[in-house]
Amino acid sequence: MSPISETAPGGQARRRMRIDGWRWGGRIFLVFMLLYTALPMIWMLITSIKSGFAAMQFPPQWWPDQPTLASYRKLLDPQNSVGRDFLRFFWNSLFVSTATTILSVIVAVPAAYAFSRFTFPGRNFLFFAVLLRNMFPAVIFLVPLFILMRAIGLVNTHGSLILTYLTFGLPLAIWLLKGFYDNIPVQLEQAARIDGATRFQAFILIVMPLSAPGIIATAIYSFIGAWNEYIYAYTFLSKNDQLTLPVGIQRFFSENTTDFPGLMAASFMMSVPVVVLFLVLQRYFVRALTEGAVKH
Amino acid sequence: MTILTGKAEARPRLQPNGAGVLRKIWEHRVDYAYVLPAIAVMLIVIAYPIYYTIELSFFNTPPGLQLRDKIFIGLDNYTAILSSPVFWKVTSNTLIWTLGSTFIAFVLGFASALALHRDFVGRGLLRAVLIIPWVISAVAASYIWKWIYHSDFGIIGAVLVGLGLADRPPNFIDSVSTVLPSLIVVNIWREFPFAMIMMMAGLQTVPDQLLRAAKVDGANAWQRFWHVTFPHLRNVSTVTILLLAVANFNSFIIPWIMTGGGPSNASHIWITHIYELAFGRQRWGVASAYSVLLFLILMSLGYFYVRALSGNERKDGSA
Repeated sequence: MSPISETAPGGQARRRMRIDGWRWGGRIFLVFMLLYTALPMIWMLITSIKSGFAAMQFPPQWWPDQPTLASYRKLLDPQNSVGRDFLRFFWNSLFVSTATTILSVIVAVPAAYAFSRFTFPGRNFLFFAVLLRNMFPAVIFLVPLFILMRAIGLVNTHGSLILTYLTFGLPLAIWLLKGFYDNIPVQLEQAARIDGATRFQAFILIVMPLSAPGIIATAIYSFIGAWNEYIYAYTFLSKNDQLTLPVGIQRFFSENTTDFPGLMAASFMMSVPVVVLFLVLQRYFVRALTEGAVKH
Repeated sequence: MTILTGKAEARPRLQPNGAGVLRKIWEHRVDYAYVLPAIAVMLIVIAYPIYYTIELSFFNTPPGLQLRDKIFIGLDNYTAILSSPVFWKVTSNTLIWTLGSTFIAFVLGFASALALHRDFVGRGLLRAVLIIPWVISAVAASYIWKWIYHSDFGIIGAVLVGLGLADRPPNFIDSVSTVLPSLIVVNIWREFPFAMIMMMAGLQTVPDQLLRAAKVDGANAWQRFWHVTFPHLRNVSTVTILLLAVANFNSFIIPWIMTGGGPSNASHIWITHIYELAFGRQRWGVASAYSVLLFLILMSLGYFYVRALSGNERKDGSA
């Protein structure tokens, strides 16, 4: 859209005052939201650098008298049992999330492309069926999936998680990607076809590179979903060395009910990968939502 | 959402007759290949479990999930649910939880999106910070807030006592009367960013020319919002509210980790209750019957969801 030169509105002082009122209202509201959002996270960080004794005081120390990184050292030290467990859970989470992400992209890309480009019988029905998957809670599938995984021998393996997480991310992934493909002019592919490319080549060489931001957004979404998932991990895994972080942290808490600095440090470390990933790539993500989910 | 129907190659129009459909499917066999992986995964992990849950809901399956010993008992599981007082308690909790969280999260998210819509220094950073709660794990969020609400060392209690508003820290999540609102605050903290992202995306589709024209015509900020912006966002709002409602209806982690449904069922919602019945008390039949009821409720919500989406598409004047 070309910017149209601003026509100067009739500069009446009263109207400007009212507009300023809205602006200040908005700013005050944003400050309130910032406090609501950030204070709990700041308190998590402050608690995580306290000693166990300093955390258990009333009134609390707003800033620890003697800040210490002991909790972080304990979690990251492979020499003691806590650190060994934590690092193992971290690795498990990383493995499951990465595998889920790769598979999600492999499955979602062709499906989204098909939904965007082809008309075939049942296409709309299929599309809504995919969307409806968002509607159903994990619990509905839990018992039968547990039986299914038991039957094919996947209980207590990461395979059971990867397979189920795949279906979480798929509906939204397909939806987001479809929005991207809708925006890529068909003429580009047609031109490639005229130049002698097969449909598959046109897809790989023309469409895939253009939809890279959508694929990145999809990958982030799948990764974050898998990294944070709890119910299936809690139900399907019982062996200590298989657990992913959310379940592992719960186990940590049930064994150390008063070690709040340790728990806050663990919560922080668990949040770092997804938050960093999101902050680095959020532009793609917001754009994908803008273009995929909400269109003119 | 528009659906382009640009086909990579022109195909002959088919005569609409009985064999036409089959022939059409055969003609499109290559197109199906693209969708097949997604469909296969969905069938294994979704269709089969749904069928299985319905079947289990008519049986009594002994603890340990020994399927060979299951006994057909008809609708007994369903009557057991409807005659239990816990069912009504859990249902009212679920309603309060879903409606309260959805409405407040949507309003806060929408207001944040509007406030962030104008340009100012640090806008991108602020937007990113506001989205973080949605990104971090619900388990981490539950523990953070559990610590904030802690009845001996919690920071909110300390502030209230410090300001002289309370004699001693209140039991936010250990008392029947305050547990549900306290958990809703946590849930909103996690969810308003989603509403904010959706509404920010929606705001970008409002044509600038219209807003400028309204301004030239002398409409004030409120009128511009009410007559220009808001009508444009009706569809996006509907979809966002439905998605939030479904997500809240299906929440599990926050009540489960923070209170386990307690004290005395005051924070049990449908999902945590189903989980407790199945994996806690091994009452597979009753838990499955609950799931089927839940499924029916969600299907009716899903019907509205699809209608809202189709509304989007009809407005675009395409199929």
